[in-house]
Amino acid sequence: MLLSIENIALASGILLILIGLLGALTNKNIIRMIVAFSIFDTGVNILIVTFGYMPGRTAPIIDGAKVTAQNIAQVAIDPVPQALVLTAIVIGFGVTALMLVFALKMHEKRKSLDINDYTDLKW
Amino acid sequence: MEFDFKHLGFTLLGLLIVLNWGLLMSALMQKIGARVARRIGIRLYQPWIDLIKNYAIRSQISHGIMFYLGPVFRFSGGVGIFLFMPLIVGSVMWSNYSFQGDLVLIMYFQFFGMLGMALGAGESGHPNSAIGISRGLAQFTAIEAPLTLAIISLAIQYNTLSIVDIVEAQQGGIQNWSAWTNPFATIAGMLAALGSMGHSPFNLVKAPNEIPIGPPTEYHGTFLGVLRTNAAILHVMEAALFMNLFFGGANNWFEFILKTFLIYFWSVFVGVVFPRFRIEQSVAWFFKIPLIAGVVAIILFM
Amino acid sequence: MVSPYFLLGIGLGLAFLLGLLGQKARKSSSILILVALFSFVGISFSWLWQFLQENASVTQFFSAGFKPPFSIALQVGLHEAVLTSMINVMGLFSFVSLWRNMKDGNEKLGPILLILFMGLNMLVLTRDIFNVFVFLEITAIALGGLILFDEKKHARSAGFKYLIASALISTIYLLGAVLIYFSNGSLYLDDVMALNNMSPMAIVAVFLLILSLVLELKPFPANGWALDVYQGANPAIGAIVSAAIGSTMLFLLYKLMGMAAFMQEFLIAVGLISFIASNLLALVQKNANRLLGYSSIGQIGLIISIIGLKDILGDQFLFVAFMILITHFLAKAGLFWLSAMLKSDELKAWSVFRKKSVLLVLFGIFIFALIGFPPFPSFYGKWTLIINLAETHNYYLIAAILIGSFLEAIYLFRWLGYAIKVDFTEYDEVKINWEKLIPVLTFGALLLASGLYMAHLMPGIEDITLWPLLFILAIYLLDFLPAYIKNTISIAALAYFSFIILPPYYEKDLLRFIFLGIFAIGGILTLIAGYAYKGKRRGFYPVALLMYAGLIVLIQAETTLSFFFGWEIMTAGSYFLIIRGKRSMEHGLSYMLFSIGGAYAILAGLGLTFAQTHNIDILSLASVTVHAKLIFLLLAVGFLTKTAALGLHIWLPGAHAEAESDVSPMVSAILLKAGVFGLFILMIAMGKNPEVASIAYILGWVGALTALVGNLAAAFQEDAKRLLAYSSIAQLGYILFALAMMSHLGWMTAMVYSLNHFMYKAILFLTIGAVVLRVGTHSMYKMGGLIQRMPLAFIAVLVGIIALSGVPPLSGFAGKWFFYNAVLEKGWYFQGAIVFFSGIVAFLYLFKLIYSVFLGQLKDNLRQVKDISIWFAIPIYVLILGIMFFSAKPEWVLQPLSDMLTQWYPNTSLSFDGLYINSNFGYWSGTGVMITIMIMFIVLLLWLWILSRKVVKVKQFNIVYSAEAPQRPETTHVSYNIFAGYYKALGWIVAPKISELWNKISDFVVSVAHFGRMIYTGNGQTYLVHILAFIVVTFLWFLN
Repeated sequence: MLLSIENIALASGILLILIGLLGALTNKNIIRMIVAFSIFDTGVNILIVTFGYMPGRTAPIIDGAKVTAQNIAQVAIDPVPQALVLTAIVIGFGVTALMLVFALKMHEKRKSLDINDYTDLKW
Repeated sequence: MEFDFKHLGFTLLGLLIVLNWGLLMSALMQKIGARVARRIGIRLYQPWIDLIKNYAIRSQISHGIMFYLGPVFRFSGGVGIFLFMPLIVGSVMWSNYSFQGDLVLIMYFQFFGMLGMALGAGESGHPNSAIGISRGLAQFTAIEAPLTLAIISLAIQYNTLSIVDIVEAQQGGIQNWSAWTNPFATIAGMLAALGSMGHSPFNLVKAPNEIPIGPPTEYHGTFLGVLRTNAAILHVMEAALFMNLFFGGANNWFEFILKTFLIYFWSVFVGVVFPRFRIEQSVAWFFKIPLIAGVVAIILFM
Repeated sequence: MVSPYFLLGIGLGLAFLLGLLGQKARKSSSILILVALFSFVGISFSWLWQFLQENASVTQFFSAGFKPPFSIALQVGLHEAVLTSMINVMGLFSFVSLWRNMKDGNEKLGPILLILFMGLNMLVLTRDIFNVFVFLEITAIALGGLILFDEKKHARSAGFKYLIASALISTIYLLGAVLIYFSNGSLYLDDVMALNNMSPMAIVAVFLLILSLVLELKPFPANGWALDVYQGANPAIGAIVSAAIGSTMLFLLYKLMGMAAFMQEFLIAVGLISFIASNLLALVQKNANRLLGYSSIGQIGLIISIIGLKDILGDQFLFVAFMILITHFLAKAGLFWLSAMLKSDELKAWSVFRKKSVLLVLFGIFIFALIGFPPFPSFYGKWTLIINLAETHNYYLIAAILIGSFLEAIYLFRWLGYAIKVDFTEYDEVKINWEKLIPVLTFGALLLASGLYMAHLMPGIEDITLWPLLFILAIYLLDFLPAYIKNTISIAALAYFSFIILPPYYEKDLLRFIFLGIFAIGGILTLIAGYAYKGKRRGFYPVALLMYAGLIVLIQAETTLSFFFGWEIMTAGSYFLIIRGKRSMEHGLSYMLFSIGGAYAILAGLGLTFAQTHNIDILSLASVTVHAKLIFLLLAVGFLTKTAALGLHIWLPGAHAEAESDVSPMVSAILLKAGVFGLFILMIAMGKNPEVASIAYILGWVGALTALVGNLAAAFQEDAKRLLAYSSIAQLGYILFALAMMSHLGWMTAMVYSLNHFMYKAILFLTIGAVVLRVGTHSMYKMGGLIQRMPLAFIAVLVGIIALSGVPPLSGFAGKWFFYNAVLEKGWYFQGAIVFFSGIVAFLYLFKLIYSVFLGQLKDNLRQVKDISIWFAIPIYVLILGIMFFSAKPEWVLQPLSDMLTQWYPNTSLSFDGLYINSNFGYWSGTGVMITIMIMFIVLLLWLWILSRKVVKVKQFNIVYSAEAPQRPETTHVSYNIFAGYYKALGWIVAPKISELWNKISDFVVSVAHFGRMIYTGNGQTYLVHILAFIVVTFLWFLN
């Protein structure tokens, strides 16, 4: 099934990664680059969640009815990838925030957000 | 060898003979040179008169201690070569002190006088001394190149560095002389001899015309006497070296006198014919035919 | 054992707590953070103690009491204990070094620093793959934070580039971590490593993990961002990045490589490429911090490749890796901290450290440690690495490592040279605060201590070799004393040391006795000349003694390792001696570079030897069978750099000529003999091996041509000391030629020449040096007529040149005599003829030397000059006595020498018969000739004296001079270009073709570096492209 949920997710994940990379490489504006990185991160996260998705399974919450301590391994999906993604999102948030602070500080000093203006250090 | 007064006596006698022969020979050569130039030339006893006059001159000047020692060094160089050179084949008494060292000793003792003289003349402070010496040294290095090859070739040929042994090996007729058995070494050696005798075309070192000659001008009186004495001995001994190396040595004093005369005459003969070289020309000249002859001499005996 | 979770608790707890506290409390937060960092150090040291002293076993701590995969495991083992100790010490000192920055309003730095080092600790300890990601990001953010508060001009743009690069890299890691989980269902490292067969997915996952870690380690060319950080940020941050983060990442890579054996080759390749490339590009770098960045990347690259070599190195791996890592860690941190003291980034600005000599010494220590000089740990690391690579036949890797190291040496020593020599007045004075000084001092001391400790542990290095080093340290501490006291101490020490070690060698090993004698006696004599110097002469005595210590170790060496140890120590000492000269900066560098190149050739040769003999005994060289030609060639090239054979000689003239007056004889008469000794050792080994005769043949030619070119070049010099230096080149050429003859007579010649050269070259250099001290110029044409003012010096030079020229009756003739006999016996007629010819050329320069300086016209400005210092005269005349003794009784020296050499060449034609020495070809009586000539000379002198008692001494210009008396000595003293005619005829032989060749080679390398570094455009996006390209290329490589 081409348009299954996994495939759509997979495709969009890869697409977002590519868009993110392309954006980070082609945009000269630092803020745009940071945005591109966010998109890139999102793509990666979608990808991870997609990998962890198991069709037909339910959430890994032991409610005593559908999911019990005994059958959890068979009926529920693995919670670890989600946990990992959650962590990754938090970290990504931190990184993005820091990047933005950097952008702010750089702009303060030179009044420019063009990455090409920051090539004093080279060679 | 134990010290021996008889031996010393013979050696001193030999020195006297060589000195007088040297003085006579220089007069002869000047005479020959003069006759070639259609002059009458000096009287044959002139060198003795000059010598006596020089030694008798009372006023002398010195530029310093090394200036004073220069002629002594030079004289020692000449006498030393005499001492380390065997004169007559097979005679222990006439082989002087050659038992103390071989050909290498003579080769390097030549420098003793040259170096001392160079320093003595250097102290005179005369610019021409320095120029003359620098030319002399430069030319001498060039002379040594073919000569060294010739000597190596002889040493290979006779398997010895002892002059006595080299001379012994050449006995028994002209066909045994190195000049016959090792012609290329002889060519190299005799061409080098032209340079070491210091006649034209290799006499830029003390060129008498263009520049007031350095050392002989500054050295006068007794100093000049000493230098002339030495020159007489040295010329004979240089000829004797080539005689021993290439022309079978001498079996008696007559042969010694004849052969040294002819060898010395060789340089005079060339000298009256060829004009003088500039220093870079003469240096370069020794690195051409003489050097090649020396190389061939070695290749033939390798 | 203390639980590692305390680290986490303390770090996070305190950081959050400080965040909650008010503005006022934050002001005093520094103390709390210091306490926290101390507790980190305490915890990791307690582990270290437990592992080292109590043999604790590796322990894993699990979070929340579950076992993995349901928990996160932190492992504490010896490795982790060592790494965390290093990191935490670094953390503590980083805090100290940033102290002033924090006090000046940036108190936020404290918590960030704490978090950063907590993260690094966790990266070392954790066994959870995803956990690694988390702490990678935490450290990245923390580092970003540090840079954010940095006030340096370009820090922030560098930080931004760093952030985007690390964001990309950590995402790759994340993907890898997730894929690992999907393929194995566990993120527990030990589980993954336990797998036997990896699924394709797992392989891709591992590939991504390792790739991202390699990228974190800044491989060439995907490392522009890191360079910018090094350059842009405060050097104290650079220290953290290079030393702490670099070490952590390397350990992480090592840890994760447990599951990625298939990537070892990749690591080797990437590491070495980075090592060579970054050292190459650094050649043209002028910014100190960026240069340190290049160097860091290079060193880390080397360690990456060592990690890749884990299986090849086997049980030596940990030793090698740790030795190089700890050196990098200590030295690089120290260098960055030194840089932090300076306002200017320029390399030349480091010259201000001269005002605080302790800092200069530290700088030197760090540089020498990085290059791998003994006694620093990296020396043993490199040695073991090369030996093991040779043993496993990885010759190309040896070549790559040595080339990279050589490139690194070029710029590091150039830099050190700047620091020692460049005029520092134009740079701001360095203001040293205690908080800057403490870390550097500590790390320098640690480096030294660890090196000495390693030397003590290392098999093959005798403990006795370390005592001189400790003594040198002591002499350095006494540097504030006046020179004459230190001189006395040094002489006493050298005398005492040689008194202890020298006599036993007389019976045991005459060859070593002689060389040791040359070094010891020569050392004492040349040091005596040092009394002539006033003031303190700072830094002279430690380095002079360092050279002598090296020389002594070299002779004593019974293993190839300790031989090499001594060789390097000697090189280091002599480098500092040489560079002390006024204009010696570039000469010191070229000496060092040739020396290092030579040393690497020796190292490679010894490594290849070990590979087949499995023995570090120095005698094992003789049992070489495989690759014998290559080995002996390498060793020969190594030794020939020291003896300055033709082609490798261009460093010598400048180095010897520009050195101080008493240093020139040290480095010429004495030091060159080290190369001769090396050649002896080599030739002894070669003598037993018939298939390397061709090498001896080549060496013979090299020696002959060296002699020719050296002597000719000497004749055309105007600088007296340069003249003597070229003369040394030629003399060493003779010795090389004589040694290469590989016969009894040949070696006799070499020994005689070595002894003679030691004596007359010491006399000449000491005398000329002393004269130079009086007249203040090296140029001979500016002197003249000095015989009147300096009779002592004149006599010394006269004896020296007569001995050197080989004119009988002095001892030089012995050398000539043996030479003729040896050449005739060996049959090397043409080479021999060249050597003889060059011996005669020597007269040219000898005359020029003595004439231009002492004879001719005395200059007006030198009329009042005094004779040479008595302190120079004493050693000179002692040596003259030596020459006279050798000349008068040569057989007393020659007979034992001949007997000694029969152990290698039992068949000899040489025989001693009373006063006579006989060979197959000739005979000679040194004593007889001496007596004959002396008597003759005295008789003739009397003859002249009797006849000329009324000699009048005339004044200077009283000469026959075109009917007038010259008045100006300058125009009358013919000296300049005195052999012009000779130059016209033969000057082409000494045209500087070889220097030109070397210049072309270096120009080429520099232009490659110039071109190569253009890839670092400074644009963050370009750097991203580099990283992506790196990923793609490696991926394609692995697809194949």
